[in-house]
Amino acid sequence: MIICDCLTKSFGAITAIKDFSVEIPDGCIFGLLGPNGAGKTTTMRMLSCLIQPTAGKALIDTYEIGKKEDAQKIRGMIGLLPEVPGLYETLGAYKNLDYYAQFYGVPKQKREQSIKETLMSLDLWDRRTEPVGGFSKGMKQKIAIARALIHDPKYIFLDEPTASLDPAASKMVREYILELKAQGDTIFLNTHNLSEAERICDTVALVKNRVVKVGNPKELARGLFARTVSFTLDKIPPTILHDISSLEVVSQARLNDRQLLVNVRRPEEDNPLIISWLMNQGVSVQFVTEEEHSLEDVYLKLLEEGGR
Amino acid sequence: MRWRNAWIVMRKDLDEFKKQKLVIGSIIAMPIVLGVIMPLALFVPLITTTPVTTSWDVPGLLEIGTLPENANPPWTNQSLTNLSLSSAVIQHTVLTNVRLSNCIIFACAIKNSTISNSTIRESNLTRSFLSNTTLIHSEGTGLDGRFILAVQSNLAFTKTKPSELALVLPMIFNLILMIFIVVPATLPTIIATYSIVGEKNNRSLEPLLATPTTDGELLAGKIFSSFIPSMGSTLLAFVLGVVLLDFVLIPRVGYPLLPNLIWILAILLIAPTACLMSVLACVLVSSKVSDVRAAQQLGGFVVMPVVVLMLGVLSGLLLLSPLTVIVFAGLYGSIDLGLFYFARAIFNRESILTKWT
Repeated sequence: MIICDCLTKSFGAITAIKDFSVEIPDGCIFGLLGPNGAGKTTTMRMLSCLIQPTAGKALIDTYEIGKKEDAQKIRGMIGLLPEVPGLYETLGAYKNLDYYAQFYGVPKQKREQSIKETLMSLDLWDRRTEPVGGFSKGMKQKIAIARALIHDPKYIFLDEPTASLDPAASKMVREYILELKAQGDTIFLNTHNLSEAERICDTVALVKNRVVKVGNPKELARGLFARTVSFTLDKIPPTILHDISSLEVVSQARLNDRQLLVNVRRPEEDNPLIISWLMNQGVSVQFVTEEEHSLEDVYLKLLEEGGR
Repeated sequence: MRWRNAWIVMRKDLDEFKKQKLVIGSIIAMPIVLGVIMPLALFVPLITTTPVTTSWDVPGLLEIGTLPENANPPWTNQSLTNLSLSSAVIQHTVLTNVRLSNCIIFACAIKNSTISNSTIRESNLTRSFLSNTTLIHSEGTGLDGRFILAVQSNLAFTKTKPSELALVLPMIFNLILMIFIVVPATLPTIIATYSIVGEKNNRSLEPLLATPTTDGELLAGKIFSSFIPSMGSTLLAFVLGVVLLDFVLIPRVGYPLLPNLIWILAILLIAPTACLMSVLACVLVSSKVSDVRAAQQLGGFVVMPVVVLMLGVLSGLLLLSPLTVIVFAGLYGSIDLGLFYFARAIFNRESILTKWT
């Protein structure tokens, strides 16, 4: 489990992140979202024991970040994919992975087998000795992800893991992250890719130098936006907007072609009432769907509010 | 300190280093050019043209001739040993280990003696020192002295003064030896300054710092990876230089002069400690700046203690002896130890990752 309690980091007069408090249970995918300069990388670096917090406290398992005696233990438990792959460009993929496996003390036989399996799954086994400097961005990113996972860490910190990957490779990485979660690993993900976060994260935190909101992506949307139900009608009476607004359960209504979009509090209870009212007006309801707000909507709204 | 981790860092760095053909070329070429090719080109003509021996040439000697065939001093059974005589007339005597001044010596056999302000006639001299002395119709072997006034003498000296080559060689040897000490102190500025700041620029430092490798292990690995190629290429050039210098000198002096004790001690003690000092200082600078060029420029200062030694030796203020070599090696070794602990104390992952100025 990762517990952060008022974690703060300042560089001189500039506060990169302030009072970052979250609890990330084991086996969870946690997404950290925020604009550039919001303090995401700084937070990840603090949790990877690369930089010291200015204030606050964080525990990974039972080890406290910032404590010198715990730093080695924490570093041994985590796998880090930084913003930039940072591979040894003149060395081959095999050696890049092999040296890191050695740093983490992976036994030779296991290391050889693991590297072979990884490179074969990445379709790079035949090119294992080629200098990675000649590889595409996507390939480098894949190798860097493999490097972060080579020692089978319990906690995985990924900073923009799909940033330079094509859609197919991004999908592969997302599926891999879900596999890791299924194995019980805890994943801390920094991302700008909101649809990705929405798809794979159990919990997200929106930050802008402080935590703006933490929660499940869907719950965040529900908490922020009224629920909107779309009724597709066979015809649109000219006064329907005015008339429907008189219903108590309707807080707002608008039209989009033949769709009547109605904001309600509890669609489960309110939809039958609205359908019945529409039928009484002589209008047939062809489809009823609930409009969902994307994480992007949540992100933009929260950051807009948080920025004020 | 887990040496295994330092070893992995070193192997990784050396693996990367092996791919940089131009850097390898300059690391190998520099000691060979400075320590072998240049000295040979400059000194071989001097060595080969300097006379191995020269005839007796005492300042003040006016004339050198041969002893006439009829010069046959009449020896007696009288002998004087371990005496000091002044203002005496001595004749027909065997003198051994005596000090004579203001004497007139006639038909004597003189051995292991010091004679000054005297006149020697029809005598036979062996292994003696003469000063302000006039020699007439005498002969001598193994003689040394100054201001011999052989105004009427037909004299044959068999001893020669030290060869000019013997006077020139120590100076040349010291100069070449200094090159073999300065070079390993200079080479790390090419490799070691890159070690941390280069990784930082390539952005490969962050994942490395996130591994369980400690600061000490990381520094040790970086130090070895710069030390080994620097010392390796220096030793290669040293062996080549010794072989080639001996190849040139053996026909002149008859036996191999190098490596002598001072050379062996210097290459085994001073060169590695000077190299390590330079490596440590460069790694230290490299962890504090964010630009490879700045690291190399600052790293250049670290050769100063070695330059001091070189200037001291070349100016004659410092006499290179086995003791001097051991003292300097000890001094450099102490500086190395201090630098390592200082580098480890100020090594800060956070500032390395976050400071870019």
